[in-house]
Amino acid sequence: MDINTKKLKKNAFRVTKKRGIAASRVRVPGGLCNAEVLEQVAKIAREYGDSSVHLTTRQGFEIEGISMEDMDKVNALLQPIIENLDINQTEPGAGYPASGTRNVSACIGNRVCPFANYNTAAFAKRIEDAIFPNDLHFKIALTGCANDCIKARMHDFGIIGMTEPQYDPTRCVSCGACVKGCDSLSVKALHAENFRVVRSHEKCVGCGVCVTKCPTRAMTRSSRKYYRLTIMGRTGKRNPRLGEDFLIWTDEDTIIKVILNTYKFVEKYIDPKAPGGKEHVGYIIDRVGFQEFKKWALDGVDLLPETIVKDNVYWSGIHYR
Amino acid sequence: MRNEYIPFASRICRIIRHTDLEYTFQMSYSGEVKPGQFFEVSIPGYGEAPISVSGIGEDTVDLTIRRVGKVTGEIFEHGEGRSLLMRGPYGNGFSLEDYRGRELVIVAGGTGVSPVRGVIDYFGGHPEKTASLQVITGFKSPRDILFREDLKRWEDQMELTLTVDAADEGEDIKVGLVTKYIPDLHFSDLANVAAIVVGPPVMMRFAVAALKDLGLTDEQIWISQERKMCCGLGKCGHCRMGDTYICLDGPVFNYTKGRNLLD
Amino acid sequence: MGKLWNRHQARLLLARWQETYDIYAPVRMPGDGCFSDTDTVRYGLIDSLEEIVWDQKSDYSFKEALLPISETLFYFTDDNASVPEAPKKKRLIFLRSCEMNALRRLDQMYLNNGPEDFYYKRIRQDARFVLMGCDTPFASCFCASMGTNTCEGYHAYVHPDGDRFYLDIPDRELAACADGLAAEDASQPVKSVTEDAVSVKIPDALPENAATLDLWKDYSSRCISCGRCNFVCPTCTCFTMQDLFYRDNDHGRAGERRRVWASCQVDGYTDMAGGICFRKDPGERMRFKVLHKISDYKKRFGYHMCVGCGRCENICPEYISYTECLNRLDAAARSSAEGGEQ
Repeated sequence: MDINTKKLKKNAFRVTKKRGIAASRVRVPGGLCNAEVLEQVAKIAREYGDSSVHLTTRQGFEIEGISMEDMDKVNALLQPIIENLDINQTEPGAGYPASGTRNVSACIGNRVCPFANYNTAAFAKRIEDAIFPNDLHFKIALTGCANDCIKARMHDFGIIGMTEPQYDPTRCVSCGACVKGCDSLSVKALHAENFRVVRSHEKCVGCGVCVTKCPTRAMTRSSRKYYRLTIMGRTGKRNPRLGEDFLIWTDEDTIIKVILNTYKFVEKYIDPKAPGGKEHVGYIIDRVGFQEFKKWALDGVDLLPETIVKDNVYWSGIHYR
Repeated sequence: MRNEYIPFASRICRIIRHTDLEYTFQMSYSGEVKPGQFFEVSIPGYGEAPISVSGIGEDTVDLTIRRVGKVTGEIFEHGEGRSLLMRGPYGNGFSLEDYRGRELVIVAGGTGVSPVRGVIDYFGGHPEKTASLQVITGFKSPRDILFREDLKRWEDQMELTLTVDAADEGEDIKVGLVTKYIPDLHFSDLANVAAIVVGPPVMMRFAVAALKDLGLTDEQIWISQERKMCCGLGKCGHCRMGDTYICLDGPVFNYTKGRNLLD
Repeated sequence: MGKLWNRHQARLLLARWQETYDIYAPVRMPGDGCFSDTDTVRYGLIDSLEEIVWDQKSDYSFKEALLPISETLFYFTDDNASVPEAPKKKRLIFLRSCEMNALRRLDQMYLNNGPEDFYYKRIRQDARFVLMGCDTPFASCFCASMGTNTCEGYHAYVHPDGDRFYLDIPDRELAACADGLAAEDASQPVKSVTEDAVSVKIPDALPENAATLDLWKDYSSRCISCGRCNFVCPTCTCFTMQDLFYRDNDHGRAGERRRVWASCQVDGYTDMAGGICFRKDPGERMRFKVLHKISDYKKRFGYHMCVGCGRCENICPEYISYTECLNRLDAAARSSAEGGEQ
């Protein structure tokens, strides 16, 4: 059996423990798909796999037990899924085109969750459209609110939804629900003064708890959707760490530009001798320095006036090497 | 169109300091007023508080105020000659007719003495208008005793029992809750007895029960209720109990009605 | 007898009304909801009939158009108090039959329970009301059971008819503004619903132990005391006073006394200085509210307070059903009448 494993991997298959057996990795951007996709996954699993499907941490399906000889046929059956999910593809019928940049994953977001501040899957899809296909190793996740259920802070780019509470004192009855909510569920950014609510913008994480608690619509959401962009969180052997805030009160357009700029930065600075041509973006920044990254990341970006940009970022985490 | 929410200014004519926390403010006021009625007393910026009339003079009303909150705290900063804002009087108050010629019992606890002070004073000064007058007043401790001057006078005018919940050893004063002294009341004609009970909710409940144990019927008992009131005008809703607005229909109730009031 | 108005002519009519009136109607407030990307329907000023939300019950009732959520009673300085001037324009308020009936309850409290309320009356006496016809009951509507599906006393009636609006304007002053505007004569009956979305039985007589029934305890752990049920209710009228000094005032001590809506479900409603309070348990507060709506108010005024609009049920974040509560109460009353166990 002659298999180019490099090509196999870039085609979103995995070389498994079992000789001659691969696994097909089906990316679902934002973790949102419909029943047709599920049925097609089931069909592939039944016809070419061993009927086992693993739900991946990154919100894909890994269809197990696929003979490497069947990969072309599996790619043909993947085509309806790729079209259904509107995945950028270089060659129709040839399966998923690249596997370096991982699936953009997302919590369930505001389509369903009362806490979420935006449609995470829709934004994930926008990012997907902008960056795929791509062989560089990036991990991006989107979460609806500061609860960070998707664990966005463990990603190279973590996108956390925010809203800026809009307070109409003429609708306020001083019931205290927002203050109590912020105290017990969030960061104590609110207090009452003269029967009215005062918000500390410095403390406020834009979680929106006060908005959900307000019984009279005195506290509502900003019409603009805001985000916190955290950068360079990671797991792994050397130095696992949480991502740190880079931009706060930023917007979708800025985030997409920053991500695209970061690809350029990586292309410029990636170590050509890195094993398998893979060097993780976080380690490149560790090597090159945050200021250089920042220069590249914000190149040509028009930040909102209200966006807070961190002058410096210091990561912590555990150093094993 | 009359705006009931606009207060009038009333001068503080005299302040009687009962305890550190309780003063009586004698306020300038001329107009109809009955014991048991109340005024909304306020200082702009601090708020309003319903305060019952504890005494009625010529062109004055007495307001006995306990310093327990923002408004009353600020009122205590005001000395004689200065003014407070008032609205009222509100509520029904005590109808002296109900007690005329009867063997009258008054059981009052703490600031609950205020609303009945006018009743006690009236019948104390006119012994011919009741068949008898027995008064039990209770306070937390000797330091909390209100109306000391009045109590001295009342001692001569009526059968007065002054008791405190607790006292230091050696203090010459009766100790125990007001209910302890209710069984000592004596009547010549039970059917001619009338009783007024005013005080904290729990005290009233037990005092009424004790009076009923003596054989009094609900018709023979009156109570005065105290509830949160923001308007005194039957609008704000805070004082409502069932179908009754304390500010309009009360605060004084015959117990046939009072027993049905449910928070 | 009314007329069918096209959008353009109706807009001209509203423009004429606007010379005298601020026109309030239920409108969609985009993004105003508790949750992201959700709207509310509540009262706002309109310029055209198309802005009115017809196919949905407003989340918040008409009452805020008459009774501001927060209302200054007077401003004060060291030696002066001044009452804010009345709104310059009169108010023209679009509302549904349940709310027209609720208006009678607001009047009862503010004009006929104790002395007249100055602030309510000065807006109310000049206000006009336009009844919006209802085609079908919305979720949790039970006006038919409460007898509030029809009403009297409105100054105009409106209902959409395709692209046009049917308007009947019995009020002379409002009708005068229609002079010279083109509209087609028509006659349509007032649309009112005759069936309820939910079946509700209001007990005729409550059992003696109505206040201590076990059913209230169910709400002790379920209700979060947020007060939404009161704030959306077209018949709730409670308020609390607030006194304050302005913080940003350099010259002397200026401030205001105002009143804001209050809720008998929210903590602090019964708090008195000195720490005494009543009804700490949310179940007791539920009992206090529900019995007011369908019993205590009637004992005082002769008819039910509740108008069956169902807004309290629609808005409850904890899915506490007011209608279910009424039906449980009715079941308890029946069982009590039959001498059964409670």
